[in-house]
This record gives sequence, structure tokens and C-alpha cells, in this order.
Amino acid sequence: MLLFRSEEMVDRWCKRNGLEHGEFLTIDQVWELSKLWYHNRLSMDFHGRNLEQVAEVFKQAGLTSKFWYI
Amino acid sequence: MNNETLLWQVRHFVYNHFADTIHPPSVEQTAQHFNISTEQAGELYKELNDRHSFFLEPETLTIRMANPFSGLPTDFKVHANGKTYFANCAWDMLGIPAALHCDAVIDAVLTESGESVQIEIRDGKITDPSGTSLQDQLLVHFPLPFARWYDDLVFT
Repeated sequence: MLLFRSEEMVDRWCKRNGLEHGEFLTIDQVWELSKLWYHNRLSMDFHGRNLEQVAEVFKQAGLTSKFWYI
Repeated sequence: MNNETLLWQVRHFVYNHFADTIHPPSVEQTAQHFNISTEQAGELYKELNDRHSFFLEPETLTIRMANPFSGLPTDFKVHANGKTYFANCAWDMLGIPAALHCDAVIDAVLTESGESVQIEIRDGKITDPSGTSLQDQLLVHFPLPFARWYDDLVFT
């Protein structure tokens, strides 16, 4: 995942590299997602997530578009 | 200790080694820590790679990524706890302070424009060290949906 200044820059970069447009989030959205995704990463008890748990994280982060379907 | 217990202890050791030193432990360091053979530590590394707990360089036992930490320098530097970490991507640059539960200053390079930007995490919130509200404009691009993230993780 890369960082861009604007949607226009994303479009230009995707076209030049022949890539799908994908989806973009604001920094604030990604910070909220990061806290949900990584808060327990250093814990002994963290053994990864199953698909249901991944879907729940996306839902809690407000990522409900088709792009985030599991 | 059964193998499953040891497996998750190795995962925990790798992540905390990254957090403490900014580098992943070599397979020899891990073997020495757990008083096991290098071969056994290597098998545990491969198993954790297969389970997506961390990711090895192809055909090696060198850890490339233990997300959010990167074993290689990147355009996403995270200054936290008196250390400078490298994050794998624009998501993981925020994942490091989230994982460490600490404040951080992030130096990142924008794709396409090549600009350098600084983002600060303080008291659990993103602040604006430049006073330009730049972070309000920044976007993180996710090129692929989740189902395809692990097809080519370096690209993702």
C-alpha cells in the first residue's frame, strides 16, 4: 500500500503502471484500521485471524464496500 | 513443550526482537534463544511463513516482513521509542505505533510526486507537525482486495 497526495495522483500512477484502481482510504481511516488490526500483534496470544475475524475488523473500521468483502 | 506451543513462542520472540532491536532475529539467534538446533528453528520459521505469521525471503530463512515491521529499508520510516523502524507500506507505517502502543513520528515519501512528508502520532491521535493540514489530503492506496493480498505480498 502506497501513499499519495491526491486521487488524481493515484489515477495517474495506476494508469502508467497498468494497474487496477483498487481503493483508497484517508490517513485517519487507516489509523483506525491499524489500531484494530495491529493492537495485539506483539502478544503471545495472537495467532493470526480467521476470515470471520478479518471481516469483523473491516466492519468495525467502517470498511463495508464490496472491495472489503471476504 | 509441544511443537505448537514452541511455534507460537518463536513467533512471539521474532516480533519482540523486531520491536526491541528494529531487526528480525536470524535463525541462529532464535535457535540459541530456545536452545534448539538451527534445523529445528528453520522448520519453525518455514511453518510460521506458511501460516502467514511472518514472511521469509524466497528460498531462505531470512525474515523479510513481520507485519508491520520490515526487515529491509523502505520509504516509510517510523521513529518511536528512541528507535527508527522501517514499515512495509503506508498502512504498516501506522501499524507500528499501533502495535507498540506509543507515540511516533513518521517520515514517508509520497508515490508519484516524490514529496517527503511527516506524520505524527501523539496520545493515540494523528497530529500535524507541519501545520499545513497536509495529512488531511493524504490517501493510502489499496491496489488489491483482501482475497488477493497474499498472492504477491511484496506488491500488495
